[in-house]
Amino acid sequence: MIQLFHLFKNFGPNVALQDINLRIRKGDFVFVTGPSGAGKTTLMRLMFGAEKPTSGNILINGINLNRIRRQKLDLLRRKVGFVFQDFKLLTGRTIFENVALALEVAGERPSYIRKKAHLALRSVGLAKREQSYPLQLSGGEQQRVAIARAIVNDPLVLLADEPTGNLDPELTKDIMLLFRTIHMKGTTVVVATHSRNLLEETAQKQIILNRGRLVGNK
Amino acid sequence: MKLRLIPYFVKQAFQNVRKNRLVHIVGISTMIISLLIFGTFLLLFYNLDNWIHGWGNSFSMSIYLQEEMDPGTKKELLELIRNFPGAKIEKIISKEQAYKDLLRALGKDAIVLKGLPRNPLPASIEVVFEPVNGERPDPWPIKAKLETFRGVQEVQYSEEWLNRFKGLMKVFRLTGFIIGGLLSLGVLFIVTNTIKLTLYSREEEIAIMKLVGATDWFVKIPFLIEGTFQGMVSGFISLLVLYSGYALLSAKKAEILGLAILDFVFVPAPYFLTIFLVSAGLGLVGGFIALGRFFKI
Repeated sequence: MIQLFHLFKNFGPNVALQDINLRIRKGDFVFVTGPSGAGKTTLMRLMFGAEKPTSGNILINGINLNRIRRQKLDLLRRKVGFVFQDFKLLTGRTIFENVALALEVAGERPSYIRKKAHLALRSVGLAKREQSYPLQLSGGEQQRVAIARAIVNDPLVLLADEPTGNLDPELTKDIMLLFRTIHMKGTTVVVATHSRNLLEETAQKQIILNRGRLVGNK
Repeated sequence: MKLRLIPYFVKQAFQNVRKNRLVHIVGISTMIISLLIFGTFLLLFYNLDNWIHGWGNSFSMSIYLQEEMDPGTKKELLELIRNFPGAKIEKIISKEQAYKDLLRALGKDAIVLKGLPRNPLPASIEVVFEPVNGERPDPWPIKAKLETFRGVQEVQYSEEWLNRFKGLMKVFRLTGFIIGGLLSLGVLFIVTNTIKLTLYSREEEIAIMKLVGATDWFVKIPFLIEGTFQGMVSGFISLLVLYSGYALLSAKKAEILGLAILDFVFVPAPYFLTIFLVSAGLGLVGGFIALGRFFKI
């Protein structure tokens, strides 16, 4: 599903990632872990096509992100859901509208959008709060909205960068449970986290980064 | 592009306008003023050009007669004039009538004529030459022929001042182009900046739209509609104001002067349609410029 070959990423003189080679299979649930500054976010952004590698190749579902045209990348993003640590919700829109946005940009029919957005919100337990605005929700609920938006298109891959970074342990458990449910439905899930507690509680595959290098793959 | 997305784009564009209404009000007002300046200039130019064109096509000639012209010769002269293609005798002014006209024209200053021993003004014939089959008759051979006729003192026609006027119109037209060009640039600048402001106000939203898979065009189209809308509204309102101003002024002119010497007409449909379309087009181009500079997502 995701393949990285000799991936390097520099930001000016700073080396963010060095010679990363890895393969994430379809249906995997993988944690990308390591201390702060290890390159987790950079790796996630590269896999999402938000950054271009300095050298090396990234293949998502067989498509080389280096060779893909801008417009095709936009289309690919509809098949790769991304959950951000800071949620990235539009505060001026209801949570229903936030989730519907991912379908609107794909040019879906209004009736389909209504149905799918409702289902996505129901799957994260927020069906009754569709007309609320993000700032009326707790942090955990906002992250659920972000997850609903990421999965509403039935993505092949779900990437989540520190999705529980701003949440307390109880809410973290809820969110992780949600990811497992999504994974059970067949979606490849990649979660970046530096939380040791989270990793200790799981038996999932881990990709360990340190100072931009891949130091472990277990 | 999916056609069913058009209502979505239009809705987004109007939401943008509503959210940034102050910016749009300022932008549209400035555009209206610019278009009004240009429209007023065009209206004046069009009417001046019309008048000059009209005068140029149907020129008039004044034939001054010597005192001793006998009625038989005068009859012959009138016959000769009538035989010129397009010629129409407007008025035959006797010496006495010319004197009376001058007295009336001088008003209080007419006293200067009272001391004269005799009426110095010649009798004259006013002739208007209308175009024949759309062609303007050549005044020079007519003038030459009339001047050689016995008993004709002098022949005058409006060619010289008309030529001077035509020269002035060329300058006027050039000025129009320059003003039009500068105002178009101004309008473009206003639209570009209005759209840029709405783009900045939605920067976060656009970034999120891109993150969830929006294509560039999906994001751009509402802004292009917004620019075009701004241009259309400005064009429409400026034409409405221009027409109201024209109607008001032309009514006042008739009231004050009592008679309309010249027909003051509104710019014809192709002209105001052009103003409207150019305004809308400038809005669209402004949108493109703003997006081109902004879109580095």
